[in-house]
Amino acid sequence: MSEPRPLTTNRPGPEAPSNGKSSVALDRFLTFGAVIVLFAVFSVTAKNFFTVRSVLSLLLQTSTTTLMGIGVTFTIITAGIDLSIGSVVALTGTVAVMAAIAGVPIWISWLIGVATGGVCGLANGLMITKLKLPPFIATLGMTFVIRGVALTITNANAWPAPESFGALGNDTIFRAGNQFPGISYPVIIMIVVAVLCQFILKKTRVGRYTYAIGSNEEAARLSGIKVNRVKIIAYVACALCAGVVGTILASRMVTSQPNSAIGYELNAIASSVIGGTSLMGGVGTVGGAVIGSFIIGILTVGLTMQGANYFMQQIIIGLVVIFAVYFDQFRRK
Amino acid sequence: MHELILEVEGVSKSFPGVRALDKVSFDLRRGEVHALVGENGAGKSTLMKILSGVYPPEAGTIRFKGQEVRFHDSTQARDAGIGIIYQELNLIPHLSVAANIFIGREPLTWLGTMDERKMNAEAIAILERLNLHIDPTITLNRLPISKQQMVEIAKSLSFDSEVLIMDEPTSALTESEIDELFRVIHTLRDRGVAIIYISHRLQELKHIVDRISIFRDGRHVSTDDYAAVTLEEIVSRMVGRKLENQFPVRRNVPTTEKILEVKRIRRDGILHDVSFDLFRGEILGIAGLMGAGRSELARAIFGADPIDSGQILMQGRRLSLRSPSDSIRAGIAYLSENRKQEGLAVKMQLAENVTMANVGDVSSRLGVISRSREMDACRRYVEELMIRTPSLTQVVNNLSGGNQQKVVVAKWLFCDSKVLIFDEPTRGIDVGTKFAIYELIERLAREGVGVIMISSELPEIMGMSDRVLVLHEGSLEATLVTKDTTQEEILNYAAGLGRTASKGASVSPTEAEERMQS
Repeated sequence: MSEPRPLTTNRPGPEAPSNGKSSVALDRFLTFGAVIVLFAVFSVTAKNFFTVRSVLSLLLQTSTTTLMGIGVTFTIITAGIDLSIGSVVALTGTVAVMAAIAGVPIWISWLIGVATGGVCGLANGLMITKLKLPPFIATLGMTFVIRGVALTITNANAWPAPESFGALGNDTIFRAGNQFPGISYPVIIMIVVAVLCQFILKKTRVGRYTYAIGSNEEAARLSGIKVNRVKIIAYVACALCAGVVGTILASRMVTSQPNSAIGYELNAIASSVIGGTSLMGGVGTVGGAVIGSFIIGILTVGLTMQGANYFMQQIIIGLVVIFAVYFDQFRRK
Repeated sequence: MHELILEVEGVSKSFPGVRALDKVSFDLRRGEVHALVGENGAGKSTLMKILSGVYPPEAGTIRFKGQEVRFHDSTQARDAGIGIIYQELNLIPHLSVAANIFIGREPLTWLGTMDERKMNAEAIAILERLNLHIDPTITLNRLPISKQQMVEIAKSLSFDSEVLIMDEPTSALTESEIDELFRVIHTLRDRGVAIIYISHRLQELKHIVDRISIFRDGRHVSTDDYAAVTLEEIVSRMVGRKLENQFPVRRNVPTTEKILEVKRIRRDGILHDVSFDLFRGEILGIAGLMGAGRSELARAIFGADPIDSGQILMQGRRLSLRSPSDSIRAGIAYLSENRKQEGLAVKMQLAENVTMANVGDVSSRLGVISRSREMDACRRYVEELMIRTPSLTQVVNNLSGGNQQKVVVAKWLFCDSKVLIFDEPTRGIDVGTKFAIYELIERLAREGVGVIMISSELPEIMGMSDRVLVLHEGSLEATLVTKDTTQEEILNYAAGLGRTASKGASVSPTEAEERMQS
């Protein structure tokens, strides 16, 4: 780095431009640029890609990965990880469905689903902070436990929920006759959660502490930050996002799906990592996770429309993850 | 025996802002142990890194066995026969002894697998050359540090080193382990290996050293037969300059107002019933040898480590000591000696580090941080402490050591701390910045803060403190008024010899000081 210069002016603007700032802006531009380029390429090469209907469907399909990616970003910023969120999706969905079947009002059963996620996150957080287990191990173990609970309470069956349960996953707003099919609720939820999480991470003390812990946990502790509490919050936030996804997916299917969402955690982690989150902790943004999941989403939809088969898609997405991170490292040097 | 194996002539090396080596000359004979001594920053380590190929020299020549050499990396130097053993061992804890010795060049069987049997047999042969009986199949981390060091020496020998550089080899060893190391060094010397021995512990040199070279401020001062110089001469050549004007004029006046009362703090096996008071406006030094419990005492007061009994009163109010956050709220700050590990989030911005311990002050009631208030607050400290940075949003990792230290100070000033505990405030900081840190400490005391300053450097204690606590193995041996005491008295207490020994002088000041600095 260049020799530090003395701070010459008495009042540089609060956001005086610096190397750090402009390179962050450049990062954002580059990854966002990748989304635009991908989108443009498929718009030209794939028939019907650039239509209102398919863009809306892209948004809907990507919303779940995005939500999970945003959640897991919290844990990765603390230098942790949450592998259990795929199972959390399955469990929260089934709990919501079972609640609805048991006669709980529909919207309360949705909330119960989301809250179940919070309980899973609390369990993860307590194991990591109180039992001092490595996050990888604690959440790996919970992957099986939570999945097992989901299978147990449903007896591995897909129970049908009352029809009105499906509203959350299937209805839209801003519908305008046949002109515009409307925007799905999950997309609205995704936008709200993204804005909220971005705000929490960048503007609040808890968010600041999340970065501080990932950057240097001991320094954070010696600065009086309640490290355990912040970590637990990160795991709860992560699992709450997964709970939202579980509830949305169960609602879309209008059944309990205890075997669903296997491997979803890996998509979420991939989204976060493509978006520039460092597994070493201290670095990562909500915007990055959103962009990362959209890169995966656009590739999946675009390749499908181009006629590439599923196996090919897997190969390409894998290569994108690898090259995104390689490029990121290369640029940081 | 007098054949020169290594000749260094007029070697220079600069780093940004520092001339680390200035036309240094030095020679080494076959079969001698040659001590290299000097204060921190004298250029010893730089010269060793040049000899072992880590840095290229900027000027001058190096002749090894009569041939001019220029190594491009440490592998080349090692293969030529110059080995170096660093203070921190470069071994892999989870591999066996033999695997460590042969790592990267394991003997193979015709199948291409590792030939464990051959490896172990050769490891035994090498270890036996050093008269060491270590099982080569044992996992390295099951050996004590001293034995691991022997393995490192054996590894170095397995490259047929003719020159072996040892950087502070005794710093982590006990007395009996040191004896064994010296035996090994004698064995090596008798085999014709030339050894460059870097140490701060002057007292131990007499057991092994043939010649001694003294460095100061990047220059070579003298080279003599060890028998021809006295310890006093060595010390005065090492220090060289008069130690005046190293410290600012002291204008802080300790009050009689107790700000912090530490009462019978005990942490089993580490701190034994330590009690003292700190007054407003006072700079209280804490001295002691390594392992005396100085940092542990500070961490206990700060609530960073749990204690078994005792209490601490801050302005008459008892602290809970469950976690640092309680102490911070009460107004205690701890500036750790490991800034990077414990004081700073180096990936984060300067501003974010300054407000880290007190973000609440620039946040709304709901916990939302106001960036403009944060920037205003930081700007004040950047100006007040003269932190040199291109911007408030600079990532801390890109600042110099002295400026990083100031960021930590800013962090605690921003908490409105009334007691600041500095743990080795000037370690790893260059001389110019040291003075600025001292000025800052003095100013803080003058403005009514209570300062506790832990230091291994006695001149620092003498120059900066009003009173000094001397710890020995976790117990408070003495509380002395700095202007009425001497370095010698402090050292005697630190060595656990009490006042009586200052007459009998069973430990010489230099020896005790060496121990203290190591």
